[in-house]
Amino acid sequence: MTRARRWPSAVLAAAVAVSSVPLLYLVTLSLRSRDDVLSGGLLPERLFWDNWPDTFATLDLGRFLLNSWVVALLAVALTLALAIPGAYYTARAGRPGERLAGLVMASYCAPPVVAVLPLFFLLRSIGLNNTLPGLALVVGLANLPVAVWLLDGFIRRVPREIEEAAWLDGLGPWGTLRRIVAPLAAPGIVAAGLICFFLAYNELLFAMSFQQQTSMQTLPVALSLFQGDRNIEFGQQAVASLVGIAPVYLLAVLAQRRLVAGLVAGGVK
Amino acid sequence: MSIAAAPARPRQRAARAVLRRRGGVARTPLGLALPVVAALLVFSAFPFAYLLGLATTDSTLARPLQGWVGTENVQAALRSEAFTSSLGKSAGFAVGASVLQLVLGTALALLLRARGTRLGWAGVALLLPLVTPPVMVGVAWKLLLAPVGGAFASISSTLGLGAFNPLGSSTGAFASLLVIDTWQWTPFVCLLVYAALLGVPRELVDAARIDGASAWQTARHVVLPCIAGTLVAVLVLRLVIAFKVFDIVYVVTAGGPGFSTTLSTFEIHREALQNFQVGTAAAATVLFSLLVGVFVTVVSRLQRRANGVAG
Repeated sequence: MTRARRWPSAVLAAAVAVSSVPLLYLVTLSLRSRDDVLSGGLLPERLFWDNWPDTFATLDLGRFLLNSWVVALLAVALTLALAIPGAYYTARAGRPGERLAGLVMASYCAPPVVAVLPLFFLLRSIGLNNTLPGLALVVGLANLPVAVWLLDGFIRRVPREIEEAAWLDGLGPWGTLRRIVAPLAAPGIVAAGLICFFLAYNELLFAMSFQQQTSMQTLPVALSLFQGDRNIEFGQQAVASLVGIAPVYLLAVLAQRRLVAGLVAGGVK
Repeated sequence: MSIAAAPARPRQRAARAVLRRRGGVARTPLGLALPVVAALLVFSAFPFAYLLGLATTDSTLARPLQGWVGTENVQAALRSEAFTSSLGKSAGFAVGASVLQLVLGTALALLLRARGTRLGWAGVALLLPLVTPPVMVGVAWKLLLAPVGGAFASISSTLGLGAFNPLGSSTGAFASLLVIDTWQWTPFVCLLVYAALLGVPRELVDAARIDGASAWQTARHVVLPCIAGTLVAVLVLRLVIAFKVFDIVYVVTAGGPGFSTTLSTFEIHREALQNFQVGTAAAATVLFSLLVGVFVTVVSRLQRRANGVAG
């Protein structure tokens, strides 16, 4: 028994090692000077801390981080506000509900690049290009299918009997959703919200297409532009990346169980 | 589902009869769906209609929809070598990445399942690649793969294997993108397949083992049919997402060397927002979404058939 269990663990340990290599490499790079990196080797010859203050001096990381958070939080609020009633409908309205779910998933199949040009013109005509709410609007709508898909699975698990009782007591559909279904599906709403937060925080295509002004850029955009052609600043790129990654890793580790449950609830129906 | 099974008290039964007369919970009001429907109109219907407009008219970023040009933009898109060859590369990338990740993810999920029914620390390890912003993934891998100072180049020169610069060659760059995407997405496949494995009835597996089936035979003939539906569903989902890939191309290869890693999303973006050929880019987008639509439809058909067999 023990022998049979040991080799899967060994393979899994190897897989975990592979999955952590890029991050560990960024950490070592952030502590090495450029000459040290260019001379080869994998670990710092001696710890070089200057990359950290230098990066904050070259890049307005605080601003980009703030922009990313504002966009992601606004986007998640919008996504959930639309997706919660929507998923209640797809989960409970029978045939029409399934038809709506089908439409939502069909819209998810289209690559986002399809929407870039039309939404670029739309945002500009209503004066929302180069603004954080404008970007949040687009990203929030882009993530809607994911949220509906995940929440649908959670709402289906709410016992119908409780809902029917609430309806009969005169709560009405919106009241039932707000007072009964949403609280019971709260773990699912948190999981879907977190997943949509990551998607919004990580988004690049819309952010770089709509935010031409540097002051309105999000961290992924700023980082994608922060690549010298000749002189690669290994250490500074590593620092900027780590600053962007840290908040999502922290959230992911803290909410690990909910996230796994959320992904699994959506994936297996 | 389980409502019918529960013994109902008379009052509840009467109440339920009232609900049923009014259509039951099935009469969930359309109002709940309105926000999503409005969102679909703004985010899907409007862009597609507008895109058709852009594809058939003369447009610049400053002044869209200037005059009808018929199929001129479509012809221009089809004449563009960079675009037409990108379609094949996008399809190859999507299929290659999805299949590779399905195989690796399923293998990892089987190992995890063999270890037990709790993920534990493996859950965190699986989540982290998944939540890492793709731009940062790209930056990390680009530095790992850098010909001078990169980790792989350092290892290669230490071992006396000579220069290591995969991003410098066409196949190397394409393969690098596949590896990077696989690094990021295999955990997603693994998590979903693992969840499906938890749903395989224990008795089935035990019965097969008692009948003398080997571990491999059990996996192949008992477990696999049980999770076939999930596997195909995950494959469809991965295909859809892999067609959207943009970030790692933009950061790691910028479509090069030459046009060897210019996938359609990247090419369309370049044409629209760097070359400012709005009409051609719109026509290219329409053609690209047709390609994605055909792929997804074909694979969904397969999915329905797989579900028919399994269920």
